[in-house]
Amino acid sequence: MYRLALNMLFGDRAKLAMLLCGLAFSALLMAQQSSVFFGIMSWTYTPMVNIRAQVWVSDPMVEQVNDAKPLRDTDLSRVRSVDGVAWAAPLHTSFVQARMQDGNFKLITLVGIDADTFAGAPALLTQGRIEDLRLPDTVIVDEWGASLMGRMGVGPDGKPRSTPLKVGDTFEINDIQARIVGICKVKRAFTGGPFVYTTYDRAKGYTLGARRTLSFMLVEPQKGVTPTELCGRIERETGLKAWTSDTVIWNWGERSLARNTFWWFWTNTGIPFSFGTAVLLGLFVGIAISGQTFYSFVLENLKYFAAIKAMGAGMGVIARMLFVQAFTAGLIGFGLGAGMAQAIGRAMIEKGMPPFVMFPQILWATFALVLGISFVSAVIGIIKVSRVDAASVFRG
Amino acid sequence: MSHQAHTVAVRATGVDMFFGTPDNQVVALKQADFEARRGELIMLVGPSGCGKTTLLSVIAGTLTPQAGTVEVFGQRLDGLSQEELTSFRRKNLGFVFQSFNLIPTLSVIENVMVPLLIQGRPYDEAHDRAAAIIEKVGLKGREEGRPNALSGGQQQRVAIARALVHEPPLLICDEPTSALDKDTGAHIMELVRDLSRSPERCVVVVTHDHRIFRFADRIAEMEDGRISRVVDDPKLLDTTHL
Repeated sequence: MYRLALNMLFGDRAKLAMLLCGLAFSALLMAQQSSVFFGIMSWTYTPMVNIRAQVWVSDPMVEQVNDAKPLRDTDLSRVRSVDGVAWAAPLHTSFVQARMQDGNFKLITLVGIDADTFAGAPALLTQGRIEDLRLPDTVIVDEWGASLMGRMGVGPDGKPRSTPLKVGDTFEINDIQARIVGICKVKRAFTGGPFVYTTYDRAKGYTLGARRTLSFMLVEPQKGVTPTELCGRIERETGLKAWTSDTVIWNWGERSLARNTFWWFWTNTGIPFSFGTAVLLGLFVGIAISGQTFYSFVLENLKYFAAIKAMGAGMGVIARMLFVQAFTAGLIGFGLGAGMAQAIGRAMIEKGMPPFVMFPQILWATFALVLGISFVSAVIGIIKVSRVDAASVFRG
Repeated sequence: MSHQAHTVAVRATGVDMFFGTPDNQVVALKQADFEARRGELIMLVGPSGCGKTTLLSVIAGTLTPQAGTVEVFGQRLDGLSQEELTSFRRKNLGFVFQSFNLIPTLSVIENVMVPLLIQGRPYDEAHDRAAAIIEKVGLKGREEGRPNALSGGQQQRVAIARALVHEPPLLICDEPTSALDKDTGAHIMELVRDLSRSPERCVVVVTHDHRIFRFADRIAEMEDGRISRVVDDPKLLDTTHL
């Protein structure tokens, strides 16, 4: 009977198309909005991805990675003295204004790293060498920032065009020259500003001698000491806060700074609410369109279901037929919707905006929700068919 | 067991059936008695609202009467649960409906396969048996077409094939010729009459169509919810009120 149930479904192409549209749109909305949500949330802890270290140490009051509370430089020595620390390097992060050659200002994320070890340096340079940061007034700019901070000019077509910054170009941070010696590839951040790397000492200069410039300390545990274990030791011995640097959302531990940043944004911003609303909207639209279309499909076939009942099919068989129809439509609708979400996501990733991270878990959750919509649709149909009297087939 | 018991296919005795609430009751059957024999084509006739369809539904086990007994091929239907009635219909009954009730999104052969698939027969077996009976009703070559592409007469042939594919002892036909012209109706009735000529089968036809009365072995006339008389010769009926 299930084969016939499918043939009944596929035989009514107009209804099927409508049903699939509802399910696919719903799946698309849920998968795409969830992926953009997780993309945006992943941007909140971008520094954890771009500045690599096993353990981060901060002021005890720090709640998330974008909220640096300056430490004293002497704290670095205290941390270095903790048993199990292989090395500890200073890190400065701040938001400052950079003045371009054309007089325009851009907000940048200034990252000062240890000039001796280059701990926290970008992993991939597309131009230049990290060692050149030791030269006076030098910085490394990220690729996207180089294009954002680019020089405005006029293209051959007469339209304004920005030429990306390149090695050798200069700009100013607080009236101090910054000469580009490298272009790196890093992940973009929630705050939107380009990442500009320099040495820790030079960063102090760029921030005009602020009293405290030590934002975080990057720490490497000795062999045989786990980051979590070391975090405990640092906190006990120094009173500072120590974090692990896991950024994998499904595996991060309680000490992860990325995790705490994620939840800080979850709790303190309207992002989850707005995206959650869109996902719920997708779910309700799916239930409304698919439920309505499937119900109308059942209504149209009601007299045939009544005939099948009269011929001796129990409600169990008919219910299974309706489930097969609803779940088949759900599977196809999910495939179409998830495929479209993937295609849109690829286009987004290529453009870089908005961020898009489609975890397998998002697909599974969307799949489960689409099957939920199918289930609701089937149940509505089953209730209708169960109320049909088999004797009604004799009433013309 | 008497000889009569062997020959009776359907027996309804003292059947009461009413609809609505006790305050607003519509009596459909009142102490109705009905009997159909094996190898017989019996017609139920009468004016609209006299209870023909209700009696047919009671015999088919799709309605349970408030009083009386119904026996079909030796099986008492009163007292059976809904599941048992469903199972009884699945094995023993074939239906030909007034409006054919062929599923338009399925092919001809798939429509005919439905009763076998409801019985849980494998798809391939159901396909072969359906193909054989489609050939018997003269529609070979139309198996894969949709019912809507067939004429009314051909659709009714498909409905008959569907009613017989699982070889049920009791064939119930509800106004089988009402949607057909005179000649097509006659052809269909010839087919149905031929099918009834087996001691293992009985055909009950509800109809208003006096053009087909001649195909009946007996005609049971209904009036006010009960069988008023049974005749062997249609000429004995007063058809003016039917």
